[in-house]
Amino acid sequence: MNRMLAVARNTFRESVRDKVLYVLLFFAGVTIFGSKALGWISIGQDIKIVKDIALAAISLFGVLIAIFVGTSLVYKEIDKRTLYTIITQPMHRYEFILGKYLGLMGLLLAVTAIMTGVSAVYVLLLGGGLDAMFFLAILLIYWKLLLVTAFAVLLSALTSPILGAIIVFSVYAFGHATGVFRDLPPQFDGTVAKQVLEIAYYLIPNLSNFDIRAEAANGVPVAPAYVAWVLVYGLAYTAALLILAALAFEDKDV
Amino acid sequence: MSAIVTRELGKVYRAVGRTQMRALEAVDLNVREGEVYGFLGRNGAGKTTTIKILCSLLRPTSGEAFVLGENARTRKARGLIGYLPEQPYFYEYLTPRETIDFYARLQGLDAAARAREWEKLAGMLDLRGIADQRVKGFSKGMRQRLGFAVALVGDPPILILDEPMSGLDPLGRRSIRELILWMRDAKKTLFFSSHVLGDVEQICDRVGILVRGRLTHEGRLDELLGEQVKQVEIIVAGLSPEAARPLAARAVSHRTLDELDAFLVDGQDAANDLVRAVHGAGGRLVEFSPVRKSLEDYFIEAQEKDKAS
Ligand SMILES: Nc1ncnc2c1ncn2[C@@H]1O[C@H](COP(=O)(O)OP(=O)(O)OP(=O)(O)O)[C@@H](O)[C@H]1O
Ligand SMILES: [Mg+2]
Repeated sequence: MNRMLAVARNTFRESVRDKVLYVLLFFAGVTIFGSKALGWISIGQDIKIVKDIALAAISLFGVLIAIFVGTSLVYKEIDKRTLYTIITQPMHRYEFILGKYLGLMGLLLAVTAIMTGVSAVYVLLLGGGLDAMFFLAILLIYWKLLLVTAFAVLLSALTSPILGAIIVFSVYAFGHATGVFRDLPPQFDGTVAKQVLEIAYYLIPNLSNFDIRAEAANGVPVAPAYVAWVLVYGLAYTAALLILAALAFEDKDV
Repeated sequence: MSAIVTRELGKVYRAVGRTQMRALEAVDLNVREGEVYGFLGRNGAGKTTTIKILCSLLRPTSGEAFVLGENARTRKARGLIGYLPEQPYFYEYLTPRETIDFYARLQGLDAAARAREWEKLAGMLDLRGIADQRVKGFSKGMRQRLGFAVALVGDPPILILDEPMSGLDPLGRRSIRELILWMRDAKKTLFFSSHVLGDVEQICDRVGILVRGRLTHEGRLDELLGEQVKQVEIIVAGLSPEAARPLAARAVSHRTLDELDAFLVDGQDAANDLVRAVHGAGGRLVEFSPVRKSLEDYFIEAQEKDKAS
Protein backbone atom coordinates (compact mmCIF):
# COMPACT_ATOMS: atom_id res chain seq x y z
CA MET A 1 0.00 0.00 0.00
CA ASN A 2 2.75 2.44 0.95
CA ARG A 3 4.67 1.56 -2.18
CA MET A 4 1.58 2.20 -4.27
CA LEU A 5 1.06 5.55 -2.60
CA ALA A 6 4.70 6.49 -3.17
CA VAL A 7 4.23 5.88 -6.90
CA ALA A 8 0.90 7.74 -6.85
CA ARG A 9 2.39 10.72 -5.07
CA ASN A 10 5.15 10.95 -7.62
CA THR A 11 2.80 10.62 -10.56
CA PHE A 12 0.69 13.43 -9.18
CA ARG A 13 3.76 15.55 -8.63
CA GLU A 14 4.97 14.92 -12.15
CA SER A 15 1.70 15.74 -13.88
CA VAL A 16 1.16 18.89 -11.84
CA ARG A 17 4.38 20.14 -13.41
CA ASP A 18 3.15 19.37 -16.92
CA LYS A 19 2.43 22.53 -18.92
CA VAL A 20 -0.24 20.86 -21.06
CA LEU A 21 -2.37 20.67 -17.94
CA TYR A 22 -2.43 24.45 -17.62
CA VAL A 23 -3.24 24.95 -21.27
CA LEU A 24 -6.24 22.64 -20.88
CA LEU A 25 -7.31 24.38 -17.67
CA PHE A 26 -7.07 27.72 -19.44
CA PHE A 27 -9.35 26.54 -22.22
CA ALA A 28 -11.75 25.08 -19.68
CA GLY A 29 -11.92 28.53 -18.05
CA VAL A 30 -12.44 30.20 -21.41
CA THR A 31 -15.31 27.81 -22.19
CA ILE A 32 -17.00 28.36 -18.84
CA PHE A 33 -16.71 32.16 -18.85
CA GLY A 34 -16.97 32.52 -22.60
CA SER A 35 -20.49 31.13 -22.65
CA LYS A 36 -21.77 34.44 -21.31
CA ALA A 37 -19.22 36.85 -22.69
CA LEU A 38 -19.70 35.69 -26.26
CA GLY A 39 -23.39 36.34 -26.01
CA TRP A 40 -24.33 32.72 -26.65
CA ILE A 41 -26.92 33.09 -23.99
CA SER A 42 -30.02 35.19 -24.03
CA ILE A 43 -31.44 36.87 -20.92
CA GLY A 44 -33.76 34.68 -18.91
CA GLN A 45 -32.31 31.33 -19.75
CA ASP A 46 -28.70 32.12 -18.74
CA ILE A 47 -28.25 30.28 -15.47
CA LYS A 48 -29.49 26.99 -16.86
CA ILE A 49 -27.22 27.26 -19.85
CA VAL A 50 -24.22 28.44 -17.88
CA LYS A 51 -24.61 25.38 -15.67
CA ASP A 52 -25.05 23.14 -18.66
CA ILE A 53 -21.94 24.50 -20.39
CA ALA A 54 -19.92 24.36 -17.16
CA LEU A 55 -20.79 20.69 -16.69
CA ALA A 56 -20.00 19.97 -20.32
CA ALA A 57 -16.61 21.72 -19.92
CA ILE A 58 -15.76 19.80 -16.74
CA SER A 59 -16.58 16.55 -18.50
CA LEU A 60 -14.75 17.38 -21.73
CA PHE A 61 -11.55 18.69 -20.18
CA GLY A 62 -11.52 15.95 -17.57
CA VAL A 63 -11.73 13.38 -20.35
CA LEU A 64 -9.03 15.12 -22.39
CA ILE A 65 -6.63 15.05 -19.43
CA ALA A 66 -7.54 11.45 -18.63
CA ILE A 67 -6.82 10.41 -22.20
CA PHE A 68 -3.72 12.48 -22.91
CA VAL A 69 -2.00 11.84 -19.61
CA GLY A 70 -3.41 8.35 -19.10
CA THR A 71 -2.38 6.82 -22.43
CA SER A 72 1.26 7.86 -21.97
CA LEU A 73 1.44 7.00 -18.28
CA VAL A 74 3.12 3.60 -18.42
CA TYR A 75 4.45 3.88 -21.97
CA LYS A 76 6.51 6.92 -21.05
CA GLU A 77 8.09 5.12 -18.11
CA ILE A 78 9.14 2.27 -20.41
CA ASP A 79 10.27 4.60 -23.15
CA LYS A 80 12.33 6.79 -20.84
CA ARG A 81 13.46 3.75 -18.87
CA THR A 82 12.58 5.39 -15.57
CA LEU A 83 10.75 2.24 -14.54
CA TYR A 84 13.87 0.05 -14.68
CA THR A 85 14.92 1.07 -11.21
CA ILE A 86 11.35 1.15 -9.91
CA ILE A 87 9.89 -2.23 -10.78
CA THR A 88 13.15 -3.90 -9.78
CA GLN A 89 12.46 -2.79 -6.23
CA PRO A 90 10.87 -5.34 -3.92
CA MET A 91 7.39 -4.42 -5.10
CA HIS A 92 4.73 -6.03 -7.23
CA ARG A 93 4.23 -4.82 -10.74
CA TYR A 94 0.55 -4.27 -10.11
CA GLU A 95 1.47 -1.89 -7.31
CA PHE A 96 3.23 0.22 -9.90
CA ILE A 97 0.25 0.23 -12.28
CA LEU A 98 -2.25 0.98 -9.53
CA GLY A 99 0.02 3.67 -8.13
CA LYS A 100 0.21 5.38 -11.51
CA TYR A 101 -3.57 5.15 -11.79
CA LEU A 102 -4.17 6.55 -8.31
CA GLY A 103 -1.78 9.42 -8.97
CA LEU A 104 -3.66 10.40 -12.11
CA MET A 105 -7.00 10.09 -10.33
CA GLY A 106 -5.62 12.42 -7.66
CA LEU A 107 -4.74 14.90 -10.37
CA LEU A 108 -8.19 14.60 -11.93
CA LEU A 109 -9.74 15.12 -8.52
CA ALA A 110 -7.79 18.35 -8.10
CA VAL A 111 -8.61 19.51 -11.64
CA THR A 112 -12.30 18.68 -11.25
CA ALA A 113 -12.38 20.49 -7.90
CA ILE A 114 -10.84 23.59 -9.43
CA MET A 115 -13.24 23.62 -12.38
CA THR A 116 -16.16 23.00 -10.04
CA GLY A 117 -15.10 25.83 -7.75
CA VAL A 118 -14.72 28.25 -10.66
CA SER A 119 -18.09 27.27 -12.15
CA ALA A 120 -19.86 27.52 -8.80
CA VAL A 121 -18.49 30.98 -8.09
CA TYR A 122 -19.43 32.10 -11.59
CA VAL A 123 -22.99 30.82 -11.26
CA LEU A 124 -23.34 32.58 -7.91
CA LEU A 125 -21.94 35.82 -9.35
CA LEU A 126 -24.52 35.69 -12.10
CA GLY A 127 -27.16 35.52 -9.39
CA GLY A 128 -28.00 31.85 -9.83
CA GLY A 129 -28.42 29.26 -7.12
CA LEU A 130 -26.60 25.96 -6.63
CA ASP A 131 -28.25 22.75 -5.59
CA ALA A 132 -27.18 19.21 -4.76
CA MET A 133 -28.05 18.09 -8.29
CA PHE A 134 -25.27 20.21 -9.74
CA PHE A 135 -22.68 18.54 -7.52
CA LEU A 136 -24.18 15.10 -8.07
CA ALA A 137 -23.74 15.61 -11.80
CA ILE A 138 -20.05 16.41 -11.18
CA LEU A 139 -19.64 13.32 -9.01
CA LEU A 140 -20.91 11.18 -11.88
CA ILE A 141 -18.58 12.93 -14.30
CA TYR A 142 -15.68 12.06 -11.99
CA TRP A 143 -16.96 8.49 -11.86
CA LYS A 144 -16.86 8.38 -15.62
CA LEU A 145 -13.28 9.65 -15.48
CA LEU A 146 -12.37 6.76 -13.16
CA LEU A 147 -13.47 4.38 -15.89
CA VAL A 148 -11.97 6.27 -18.85
CA THR A 149 -8.64 6.64 -17.04
CA ALA A 150 -8.53 2.93 -16.24
CA PHE A 151 -9.02 2.19 -19.93
CA ALA A 152 -6.32 4.71 -20.89
CA VAL A 153 -3.89 3.16 -18.39
CA LEU A 154 -4.62 -0.31 -19.76
CA LEU A 155 -3.74 0.88 -23.26
CA SER A 156 -0.63 2.68 -22.05
CA ALA A 157 0.67 -0.70 -20.90
CA LEU A 158 -0.05 -2.20 -24.33
CA THR A 159 0.60 0.35 -27.02
CA SER A 160 1.91 3.76 -27.98
CA PRO A 161 0.22 6.91 -26.65
CA ILE A 162 -1.03 7.97 -30.10
CA LEU A 163 -2.68 4.67 -30.93
CA GLY A 164 -3.92 4.43 -27.35
CA ALA A 165 -5.48 7.89 -27.48
CA ILE A 166 -7.22 7.08 -30.77
CA ILE A 167 -8.66 3.89 -29.34
CA VAL A 168 -9.81 5.52 -26.10
CA PHE A 169 -11.38 8.40 -28.02
CA SER A 170 -13.25 6.00 -30.29
CA VAL A 171 -14.49 3.89 -27.43
CA TYR A 172 -15.44 7.07 -25.60
CA ALA A 173 -17.46 8.29 -28.56
CA PHE A 174 -19.13 4.89 -29.04
CA GLY A 175 -19.68 4.69 -25.30
CA HIS A 176 -22.07 7.63 -25.59
CA ALA A 177 -24.05 5.96 -28.31
CA THR A 178 -24.09 2.30 -27.43
CA GLY A 179 -27.82 2.14 -28.14
CA VAL A 180 -26.99 2.47 -31.83
CA PHE A 181 -25.30 -0.92 -31.78
CA ARG A 182 -28.35 -2.65 -30.48
CA ASP A 183 -31.09 -0.85 -32.35
CA LEU A 184 -29.80 -1.49 -35.83
CA PRO A 185 -32.05 -1.13 -38.85
CA PRO A 186 -33.67 -4.44 -39.92
CA GLN A 187 -31.48 -4.91 -43.01
CA PHE A 188 -28.63 -5.85 -40.63
CA ASP A 189 -30.52 -8.85 -39.29
CA GLY A 190 -28.55 -12.07 -39.51
CA THR A 191 -25.27 -10.44 -40.64
CA VAL A 192 -21.90 -10.81 -39.00
CA ALA A 193 -21.77 -7.04 -38.54
CA LYS A 194 -24.83 -7.27 -36.35
CA GLN A 195 -23.22 -9.90 -34.16
CA VAL A 196 -19.99 -7.92 -33.82
CA LEU A 197 -21.88 -4.77 -32.94
CA GLU A 198 -23.99 -6.66 -30.46
CA ILE A 199 -20.86 -7.88 -28.73
CA ALA A 200 -19.58 -4.30 -28.75
CA TYR A 201 -22.84 -3.24 -27.18
CA TYR A 202 -22.32 -5.56 -24.23
CA LEU A 203 -18.57 -4.88 -23.94
CA ILE A 204 -18.39 -1.11 -24.25
CA PRO A 205 -19.65 0.69 -21.16
CA ASN A 206 -22.65 2.90 -21.68
CA LEU A 207 -21.15 6.25 -20.79
CA SER A 208 -24.39 8.18 -21.19
CA ASN A 209 -25.43 6.51 -17.94
CA PHE A 210 -23.11 8.94 -16.20
CA ASP A 211 -24.64 11.95 -17.89
CA ILE A 212 -27.26 13.73 -15.78
CA ARG A 213 -26.34 17.18 -17.09
CA ALA A 214 -29.78 18.08 -18.41
CA GLU A 215 -31.43 17.08 -15.17
CA ALA A 216 -28.87 19.04 -13.16
CA ALA A 217 -29.18 22.18 -15.29
CA ASN A 218 -32.95 22.08 -15.11
CA GLY A 219 -33.18 21.05 -11.46
CA VAL A 220 -34.98 17.78 -12.22
CA PRO A 221 -34.28 15.20 -9.48
CA VAL A 222 -32.75 11.80 -10.20
CA ALA A 223 -33.69 8.70 -8.24
CA PRO A 224 -31.06 7.74 -5.59
CA ALA A 225 -31.35 4.12 -6.69
CA TYR A 226 -30.28 5.14 -10.19
CA VAL A 227 -27.26 7.01 -8.85
CA ALA A 228 -26.27 4.05 -6.68
CA TRP A 229 -26.59 1.72 -9.66
CA VAL A 230 -24.42 3.99 -11.86
CA LEU A 231 -21.75 4.19 -9.15
CA VAL A 232 -21.58 0.41 -8.90
CA TYR A 233 -21.66 0.08 -12.70
CA GLY A 234 -18.67 2.44 -12.99
CA LEU A 235 -16.69 0.69 -10.27
CA ALA A 236 -17.25 -2.73 -11.82
CA TYR A 237 -15.93 -1.60 -15.21
CA THR A 238 -13.04 0.25 -13.62
CA ALA A 239 -12.01 -2.75 -11.55
CA ALA A 240 -12.17 -5.04 -14.58
CA LEU A 241 -10.04 -2.65 -16.66
CA LEU A 242 -7.46 -2.25 -13.90
CA ILE A 243 -7.19 -6.00 -13.46
CA LEU A 244 -6.59 -6.33 -17.21
CA ALA A 245 -3.96 -3.57 -17.05
CA ALA A 246 -2.17 -5.32 -14.19
CA LEU A 247 -2.26 -8.65 -16.04
CA ALA A 248 -0.99 -7.07 -19.27
CA PHE A 249 1.93 -5.56 -17.39
CA GLU A 250 2.75 -8.50 -15.15
CA ASP A 251 4.81 -10.54 -17.63
CA LYS A 252 5.71 -7.78 -20.04
CA ASP A 253 9.32 -7.53 -21.18
CA VAL A 254 10.49 -3.99 -20.60
CA MET B 1 25.67 -20.50 -1.18
CA SER B 2 26.03 -19.00 -4.63
CA ALA B 3 24.90 -15.41 -4.99
CA ILE B 4 23.77 -15.70 -8.59
CA VAL B 5 23.11 -18.89 -10.49
CA THR B 6 21.61 -19.30 -13.93
CA ARG B 7 20.69 -22.59 -15.53
CA GLU B 8 20.53 -22.92 -19.27
CA LEU B 9 19.37 -19.35 -19.54
CA GLY B 10 18.08 -18.48 -23.00
CA LYS B 11 16.37 -15.46 -24.46
CA VAL B 12 14.84 -14.99 -27.87
CA TYR B 13 13.54 -11.53 -28.74
CA ARG B 14 10.45 -11.61 -30.86
CA ALA B 15 9.07 -8.56 -32.55
CA VAL B 16 6.08 -8.45 -34.84
CA GLY B 17 7.13 -8.48 -38.48
CA ARG B 18 10.79 -8.96 -37.69
CA THR B 19 12.93 -12.05 -37.48
CA GLN B 20 13.62 -13.61 -34.13
CA MET B 21 16.77 -12.57 -32.35
CA ARG B 22 18.47 -15.22 -30.26
CA ALA B 23 20.23 -13.06 -27.68
CA LEU B 24 21.20 -15.71 -25.11
CA GLU B 25 21.79 -19.41 -25.38
CA ALA B 26 22.16 -21.83 -22.47
CA VAL B 27 24.06 -19.50 -20.17
CA ASP B 28 25.18 -21.12 -16.90
CA LEU B 29 26.53 -18.52 -14.55
CA ASN B 30 27.76 -19.10 -11.05
CA VAL B 31 28.69 -16.08 -8.99
CA ARG B 32 29.87 -16.80 -5.45
CA GLU B 33 28.86 -14.81 -2.46
CA GLY B 34 31.17 -11.91 -1.70
CA GLU B 35 33.04 -11.93 -4.99
CA VAL B 36 33.53 -9.25 -7.58
CA TYR B 37 32.49 -10.74 -10.89
CA GLY B 38 33.19 -9.07 -14.20
CA PHE B 39 30.76 -9.91 -16.95
CA LEU B 40 32.57 -9.25 -20.21
CA GLY B 41 31.41 -9.17 -23.77
CA ARG B 42 31.45 -7.01 -26.83
CA ASN B 43 28.55 -4.81 -27.87
CA GLY B 44 25.50 -6.92 -28.48
CA ALA B 45 26.91 -10.00 -26.75
CA GLY B 46 23.90 -10.19 -24.44
CA LYS B 47 25.17 -8.65 -21.21
CA THR B 48 22.27 -6.32 -20.71
CA THR B 49 19.82 -9.07 -21.61
CA THR B 50 21.28 -11.33 -18.92
CA ILE B 51 21.22 -8.55 -16.35
CA LYS B 52 17.63 -7.66 -17.16
CA ILE B 53 16.62 -11.27 -16.64
CA LEU B 54 18.41 -11.32 -13.28
CA CYS B 55 16.49 -8.21 -12.27
CA SER B 56 13.17 -9.61 -13.60
CA LEU B 57 12.70 -6.92 -16.23
CA LEU B 58 12.71 -9.65 -18.85
CA ARG B 59 11.30 -13.14 -18.79
CA PRO B 60 13.75 -15.79 -19.97
CA THR B 61 12.61 -17.81 -22.97
CA SER B 62 14.20 -20.87 -21.41
CA GLY B 63 16.08 -21.72 -18.24
CA GLU B 64 16.01 -20.14 -14.82
CA ALA B 65 17.89 -17.61 -12.74
CA PHE B 66 18.36 -17.63 -8.97
CA VAL B 67 19.52 -14.97 -6.55
CA LEU B 68 20.72 -16.35 -3.21
CA GLY B 69 18.56 -19.38 -3.92
CA GLU B 70 15.42 -17.37 -4.71
CA ASN B 71 13.95 -17.48 -8.19
CA ALA B 72 14.81 -14.15 -9.81
CA ARG B 73 11.18 -13.57 -10.69
CA THR B 74 10.08 -13.27 -7.08
CA ARG B 75 9.68 -10.12 -5.06
CA LYS B 76 12.01 -11.53 -2.44
CA ALA B 77 14.80 -11.86 -5.01
CA ARG B 78 14.30 -8.25 -6.09
CA GLY B 79 14.75 -7.24 -2.47
CA LEU B 80 18.24 -8.77 -2.47
CA ILE B 81 19.49 -6.86 -5.49
CA GLY B 82 20.65 -3.31 -6.01
CA TYR B 83 20.54 -2.57 -9.73
CA LEU B 84 22.28 0.10 -11.75
CA PRO B 85 20.96 0.16 -15.34
CA GLU B 86 23.10 0.80 -18.38
CA GLN B 87 22.22 4.47 -18.53
CA PRO B 88 20.26 5.18 -15.41
CA TYR B 89 17.28 7.45 -15.89
CA PHE B 90 15.45 9.04 -13.02
CA TYR B 91 12.53 11.41 -12.81
CA GLU B 92 13.90 14.64 -14.20
CA TYR B 93 11.72 16.82 -12.02
CA LEU B 94 12.96 15.34 -8.75
CA THR B 95 16.09 16.29 -6.85
CA PRO B 96 18.57 13.67 -5.57
CA ARG B 97 17.17 14.08 -2.08
CA GLU B 98 13.63 13.45 -3.31
CA THR B 99 14.82 10.60 -5.53
CA ILE B 100 16.47 8.73 -2.66
CA ASP B 101 13.42 9.36 -0.53
CA PHE B 102 11.18 7.91 -3.25
CA TYR B 103 13.20 4.71 -3.59
CA ALA B 104 13.46 4.38 0.18
CA ARG B 105 9.66 4.57 0.31
CA LEU B 106 9.43 1.81 -2.30
CA GLN B 107 11.53 -0.28 0.05
CA GLY B 108 9.05 0.42 2.80
CA LEU B 109 11.37 2.45 5.03
CA ASP B 110 9.84 4.81 7.58
CA ALA B 111 10.60 8.53 7.74
CA ALA B 112 13.52 8.20 10.17
CA ALA B 113 15.10 5.37 8.20
CA ARG B 114 14.67 7.34 4.97
CA ALA B 115 16.46 10.32 6.46
CA ARG B 116 19.29 8.08 7.66
CA GLU B 117 19.52 6.50 4.23
CA TRP B 118 19.90 9.91 2.62
CA GLU B 119 22.60 10.97 5.06
CA LYS B 120 24.56 7.80 4.47
CA LEU B 121 24.31 7.76 0.68
CA ALA B 122 24.76 11.50 0.21
CA GLY B 123 28.00 11.26 2.12
CA MET B 124 29.19 8.15 0.34
CA LEU B 125 28.47 9.43 -3.17
CA ASP B 126 29.10 13.08 -2.59
CA LEU B 127 25.57 14.20 -3.35
CA ARG B 128 25.25 16.96 -0.77
CA GLY B 129 26.33 19.72 -3.14
CA ILE B 130 23.59 18.80 -5.60
CA ALA B 131 21.02 17.62 -3.05
CA ASP B 132 18.29 20.06 -4.06
CA GLN B 133 19.01 20.49 -7.75
CA ARG B 134 16.64 18.92 -10.27
CA VAL B 135 18.05 15.86 -12.03
CA LYS B 136 17.08 17.51 -15.35
CA GLY B 137 20.37 19.36 -15.75
CA PHE B 138 22.67 16.61 -14.50
CA SER B 139 25.78 15.46 -16.30
CA LYS B 140 26.47 11.82 -17.05
CA GLY B 141 28.77 11.55 -14.05
CA MET B 142 26.24 13.06 -11.67
CA ARG B 143 23.55 10.71 -12.94
CA GLN B 144 25.85 7.74 -12.47
CA ARG B 145 26.55 8.76 -8.88
CA LEU B 146 22.86 9.10 -8.22
CA GLY B 147 22.32 5.73 -9.90
CA PHE B 148 24.78 4.15 -7.50
CA ALA B 149 23.06 5.77 -4.57
CA VAL B 150 19.71 4.39 -5.75
CA ALA B 151 21.20 0.91 -6.18
CA LEU B 152 22.49 1.07 -2.61
CA VAL B 153 19.20 2.15 -1.02
CA GLY B 154 18.20 -0.45 1.54
CA ASP B 155 21.72 -1.93 1.71
CA PRO B 156 21.16 -4.96 -0.59
CA PRO B 157 23.71 -7.81 -0.37
CA ILE B 158 24.06 -8.12 -4.16
CA LEU B 159 24.81 -5.34 -6.60
CA ILE B 160 24.23 -5.76 -10.31
CA LEU B 161 25.77 -2.99 -12.35
CA ASP B 162 25.39 -2.67 -16.11
CA GLU B 163 28.45 -0.94 -17.56
CA PRO B 164 28.97 1.25 -14.50
CA MET B 165 31.94 3.07 -16.02
CA SER B 166 30.85 3.63 -19.59
CA GLY B 167 30.83 7.23 -20.68
CA LEU B 168 32.76 8.48 -17.67
CA ASP B 169 36.03 10.41 -17.70
CA PRO B 170 39.15 8.87 -16.08
CA LEU B 171 38.43 10.55 -12.77
CA GLY B 172 34.85 9.29 -12.84
CA ARG B 173 36.02 5.78 -13.67
CA ARG B 174 38.47 5.85 -10.82
CA SER B 175 35.87 6.91 -8.31
CA ILE B 176 33.56 4.13 -9.48
CA ARG B 177 36.42 1.66 -9.17
CA GLU B 178 37.08 2.85 -5.63
CA LEU B 179 33.41 2.50 -4.84
CA ILE B 180 33.39 -1.07 -6.12
CA LEU B 181 36.41 -1.92 -3.98
CA TRP B 182 34.76 -0.29 -1.01
CA MET B 183 31.67 -2.41 -1.57
CA ARG B 184 33.79 -5.51 -1.82
CA ASP B 185 35.25 -4.67 1.57
CA ALA B 186 31.69 -4.32 2.82
CA LYS B 187 31.27 -8.02 1.85
CA LYS B 188 28.82 -7.39 -0.94
CA THR B 189 28.59 -9.49 -4.06
CA LEU B 190 29.26 -7.44 -7.14
CA PHE B 191 28.26 -8.45 -10.61
CA PHE B 192 29.08 -5.93 -13.29
CA SER B 193 29.28 -5.87 -17.03
CA SER B 194 31.88 -4.17 -19.14
CA HIS B 195 33.62 -4.36 -22.46
CA VAL B 196 36.75 -2.60 -21.25
CA LEU B 197 39.46 -4.84 -19.86
CA GLY B 198 41.18 -2.04 -17.97
CA ASP B 199 38.07 -1.51 -15.90
CA VAL B 200 37.95 -5.06 -14.70
CA GLU B 201 41.45 -6.39 -14.39
CA GLN B 202 42.40 -4.69 -11.16
CA ILE B 203 39.16 -5.31 -9.34
CA CYS B 204 37.60 -8.59 -10.42
CA ASP B 205 37.97 -11.86 -8.59
CA ARG B 206 36.52 -13.71 -11.51
CA VAL B 207 35.16 -12.97 -14.94
CA GLY B 208 32.72 -14.53 -17.35
CA ILE B 209 33.05 -13.91 -21.04
CA LEU B 210 30.01 -13.80 -23.22
CA VAL B 211 30.42 -14.29 -26.94
CA ARG B 212 27.30 -13.88 -29.07
CA GLY B 213 24.97 -14.99 -26.31
CA ARG B 214 27.08 -17.90 -25.07
CA LEU B 215 29.24 -17.98 -21.98
CA THR B 216 32.52 -19.19 -23.47
CA HIS B 217 34.83 -18.72 -20.48
CA GLU B 218 34.45 -18.36 -16.77
CA GLY B 219 37.28 -18.10 -14.31
CA ARG B 220 40.04 -15.90 -12.96
CA LEU B 221 41.15 -13.24 -15.39
CA ASP B 222 44.86 -14.05 -15.09
CA GLU B 223 44.09 -17.67 -15.85
CA LEU B 224 42.21 -16.68 -18.93
CA LEU B 225 44.71 -14.15 -20.22
CA GLY B 226 47.80 -15.42 -18.45
CA GLU B 227 49.26 -17.68 -21.11
CA GLN B 228 50.24 -14.85 -23.35
CA VAL B 229 53.63 -13.21 -23.49
CA LYS B 230 53.51 -9.87 -21.85
CA GLN B 231 54.63 -7.00 -23.98
CA VAL B 232 55.93 -3.72 -22.62
CA GLU B 233 55.59 -0.31 -24.14
CA ILE B 234 58.47 2.06 -23.44
CA ILE B 235 58.22 5.73 -24.25
CA VAL B 236 61.38 7.81 -24.13
CA ALA B 237 62.45 11.37 -24.83
CA GLY B 238 65.69 12.94 -25.94
CA LEU B 239 66.82 10.37 -28.49
CA SER B 240 68.27 11.49 -31.79
CA PRO B 241 66.99 9.59 -34.85
CA GLU B 242 70.46 8.08 -35.25
CA ALA B 243 70.47 6.83 -31.65
CA ALA B 244 66.93 5.49 -31.99
CA ARG B 245 67.60 3.38 -35.08
CA PRO B 246 69.70 0.60 -33.48
CA LEU B 247 67.31 0.48 -30.53
CA ALA B 248 64.35 0.09 -32.85
CA ALA B 249 65.99 -3.01 -34.28
CA ARG B 250 65.74 -4.66 -30.85
CA ALA B 251 62.04 -3.87 -30.44
CA VAL B 252 58.92 -5.51 -31.85
CA SER B 253 57.83 -2.14 -33.14
CA HIS B 254 58.89 1.48 -33.02
CA ARG B 255 56.98 4.70 -33.55
CA THR B 256 57.91 8.33 -33.17
CA LEU B 257 55.43 10.65 -31.58
CA ASP B 258 56.47 14.31 -31.87
CA GLU B 259 59.65 14.45 -29.77
CA LEU B 260 59.09 11.03 -28.28
CA ASP B 261 59.99 7.48 -29.30
CA ALA B 262 57.75 4.56 -28.45
CA PHE B 263 59.12 0.99 -28.44
CA LEU B 264 57.18 -2.20 -27.97
CA VAL B 265 59.22 -5.13 -26.69
CA ASP B 266 58.51 -8.73 -25.72
CA GLY B 267 58.91 -9.58 -22.04
CA GLN B 268 60.22 -7.83 -18.93
CA ASP B 269 63.90 -8.73 -19.45
CA ALA B 270 64.10 -7.35 -22.95
CA ALA B 271 62.34 -4.25 -21.69
CA ASN B 272 64.91 -3.67 -18.95
CA ASP B 273 67.73 -4.15 -21.43
CA LEU B 274 66.22 -1.61 -23.73
CA VAL B 275 65.76 0.93 -20.94
CA ARG B 276 69.47 0.56 -20.07
CA ALA B 277 70.41 1.07 -23.69
CA VAL B 278 68.18 4.16 -23.88
CA HIS B 279 69.99 5.68 -20.91
CA GLY B 280 73.33 4.83 -22.54
CA ALA B 281 72.27 6.65 -25.69
CA GLY B 282 71.37 9.78 -23.71
CA GLY B 283 67.59 9.20 -23.70
CA ARG B 284 65.21 9.76 -20.85
CA LEU B 285 62.43 7.32 -19.78
CA VAL B 286 58.94 8.86 -19.95
CA GLU B 287 56.71 5.86 -19.61
CA PHE B 288 57.03 2.14 -18.98
CA SER B 289 53.79 0.19 -19.29
CA PRO B 290 53.17 -3.53 -19.58
CA VAL B 291 50.52 -4.26 -22.19
CA ARG B 292 48.53 -7.39 -22.34
CA LYS B 293 46.69 -8.66 -25.26
CA SER B 294 43.64 -6.46 -25.32
CA LEU B 295 40.27 -7.82 -24.45
CA GLU B 296 39.26 -6.88 -27.96
CA ASP B 297 41.82 -9.32 -29.36
CA TYR B 298 40.75 -11.88 -26.85
CA PHE B 299 37.16 -11.59 -27.92
CA ILE B 300 38.01 -11.87 -31.56
CA GLU B 301 40.02 -14.98 -30.80
CA ALA B 302 37.25 -16.46 -28.70
CA GLN B 303 34.79 -15.65 -31.43
CA GLU B 304 36.90 -17.31 -34.08
CA LYS B 305 37.21 -20.39 -31.91
CA ASP B 306 33.47 -20.24 -31.49
CA LYS B 307 32.96 -20.12 -35.23
CA ALA B 308 35.40 -22.94 -35.86
CA SER B 309 33.66 -25.29 -33.46
N1 LIG C 1 14.26 -5.40 -27.17
C1 LIG C 1 14.99 -6.04 -28.09
N2 LIG C 1 14.42 -6.53 -29.20
C2 LIG C 1 15.13 -7.20 -30.11
N3 LIG C 1 16.45 -7.43 -30.01
C3 LIG C 1 17.09 -6.97 -28.93
C4 LIG C 1 16.41 -6.26 -27.91
N4 LIG C 1 17.30 -5.92 -26.96
C5 LIG C 1 18.47 -6.39 -27.36
N5 LIG C 1 18.37 -7.04 -28.54
C6 LIG C 1 19.45 -7.70 -29.27
O1 LIG C 1 20.00 -8.71 -28.44
C7 LIG C 1 21.40 -8.75 -28.53
C8 LIG C 1 22.01 -8.59 -27.16
O2 LIG C 1 21.77 -7.29 -26.70
P1 LIG C 1 22.28 -6.77 -25.29
O3 LIG C 1 21.71 -5.40 -25.11
O4 LIG C 1 21.96 -7.77 -24.25
O5 LIG C 1 23.84 -6.69 -25.51
P2 LIG C 1 24.99 -6.07 -24.59
O6 LIG C 1 26.00 -7.12 -24.39
O7 LIG C 1 24.41 -5.45 -23.39
O8 LIG C 1 25.59 -4.96 -25.56
P3 LIG C 1 26.19 -3.50 -25.23
O9 LIG C 1 27.62 -3.69 -24.88
O10 LIG C 1 26.03 -2.79 -26.54
O11 LIG C 1 25.38 -2.91 -24.15
C9 LIG C 1 21.78 -7.65 -29.51
O12 LIG C 1 22.05 -8.23 -30.74
C10 LIG C 1 20.58 -6.76 -29.57
O13 LIG C 1 20.47 -6.20 -30.84
MG1 LIG D 1 24.38 -3.55 -22.69
